[in-house]
Parts: sequence; C-alpha cells; structure tokens
Amino acid sequence: MIPRGLGIIFFRWPETTSKEGCVSIEEKVIGSTKEIFSSMVMMEISVKRVMDYSGPLNNTITGMVGLAGIYRGVLAIHIPYPVAMAITASFLGMDVDEINEDVHDAIGELANMLGGNVKTILSEKGRDIELSLPSTISGSEYSFQLDKEVDTVIIEFDTGQGQFMVEMVLEK
Amino acid sequence: MGKNVLLVDDSSTMRKIVGRSLRQAGIDFDNIFEAADGIEALEILEKEHIDIVLSDINMPNMDGISFLREKATRDNIKGIPVLMISTETGDDIIGEAKSLGAVGAIKKPFTPDKVNEVLGPLL
Repeated sequence: MIPRGLGIIFFRWPETTSKEGCVSIEEKVIGSTKEIFSSMVMMEISVKRVMDYSGPLNNTITGMVGLAGIYRGVLAIHIPYPVAMAITASFLGMDVDEINEDVHDAIGELANMLGGNVKTILSEKGRDIELSLPSTISGSEYSFQLDKEVDTVIIEFDTGQGQFMVEMVLEK
Repeated sequence: MGKNVLLVDDSSTMRKIVGRSLRQAGIDFDNIFEAADGIEALEILEKEHIDIVLSDINMPNMDGISFLREKATRDNIKGIPVLMISTETGDDIIGEAKSLGAVGAIKKPFTPDKVNEVLGPLL
C-alpha cells in the first residue's frame, strides 16, 4: 500500500519528439493495449478518451515499468480495484474477490507486456533501451505528482466492466 | 518416458497463462515444472528429466540470457532446447539468445495458435 499523498515524479516527452511522433506512439500504445487484452486477457476493450491528467487515484492498483537508455520514462497502468479483479479473473480464468498477490502479479505482468511493446516501438533492435522489472502499488487514495510543464499521454480504456488508464511519459 | 516441460518466468500469472496456452494448443506434457528465475531453472534441469524449456528473458536474480550462458557450460544439460517467451524480442537480444543456444522466440502477447506454430515442430 502506498501512503496517502505520496507522489511519483514522471519523466517528460523528449523535446525533439514532434506532435506527430507523439500521436504515432499514442496510436501504437492503443493498438498494443488492445492486442494484449484481446489475446491474453480475453477481454475486448475500447478507447474511452485521451487525457492529460490522471487525477487522484482511489482504490486503485498501478502496475509500472521503467525504461532507460536512449529513451527514459515510465509506462503505468492504473486500474480501479473492481476492474483489476475482473481483469485478473479473466486473465487467469478463475474467481477473484480480493486484491491479493495474484492481482498484483497479473497487473504487473500487464505493465511488463505494455512496456515491452513500447520498447519495441521505440527501438527495434532492443539493446539501446533497458526495461525494468515490473512493480505495483495500490492504495485507497494516491496521485502522481506531475511537473506542470511535463507532457504525458494518458489513455482511458473501457472494458465493459469499468475503465482503466494507461499512462506513458518519456524523456529522451 | 513421457515429455516434460519447464516454464521459467518470475510472474506466476504468466506461468499459468503459458500452461493454459499449451493445453489450448493441444500440446500435452506429462509434467509441467515451474521456475521463477534462471537459478531455479538450473536446479530443476539438474534434477529432473526435461524435454524443453520455455523461458522469459527479463527476470530477477538470473535473467534468461544469463541462464542460457550458464546452461551452455554444463555438459549434462546444455543440449536441452530452450524457447524464449518474452516481451524482449529485439533483434539484438534474440540474436544473443540464439547464439547461446535458444531455438526460437515467441513474443508476448501470444495466442495458443502461435505457441503451437512455434513449439509444435520442436517436439
């Protein structure tokens, strides 16, 4: 559990990344997220909206991976508890009625797969970007402390059983 | 003697998903062994009869590349084929894995059909 009010500082988009480049990456992240959910989680999801601020997160679990190398940043997935339990149940094919170790592992693995896809988008060869091991945090109320001048891409998806957000922030 | 597989991934979720995908692909193993990193995988390979290993790359303690490198030094287990299943599918990383003995790679996310397509010919 993360203490209330504890924030996480994200990196920013590379200054050399064009608006078109951001849009292209955004589209690829959307495509990767849909592919992961369709092929692995067995859920069809749709984009609800693209946002620039995730706001306070309540009763949520966040899975994240860090990228280092020619690009630096974080890929995070924020999932409210009921949606996280539904996703884990579908992912593992079993009943899930609490936020337990299985939920943390499943959401961490989702972040890991998304991070891997982002790494492939940014670097085809793969050796010039390092991917961290996934980690998760959860809590009744927390937020990401973002620099006001930092650009981020936050995409909200709808699962049919609730929404979740994918947040990506990069620095070159 | 039946066929045994060893699944190596630090995520218990992913080990379950790979096991499920094997069953959905119609690939039956007599025994499915599991390891959370390369160190555990080496211990199991030394003790059990394993026909093929399906291994992640990005793991704590001993990652998939280090696992391949160490396995290649042990005469009694170096011939056991290893198929990588990972988000890490860049040409450089997969090239290094193959140079250390990996027989192929499957990218996460994957479908049971993809597992069957790649793994089937190796059995």
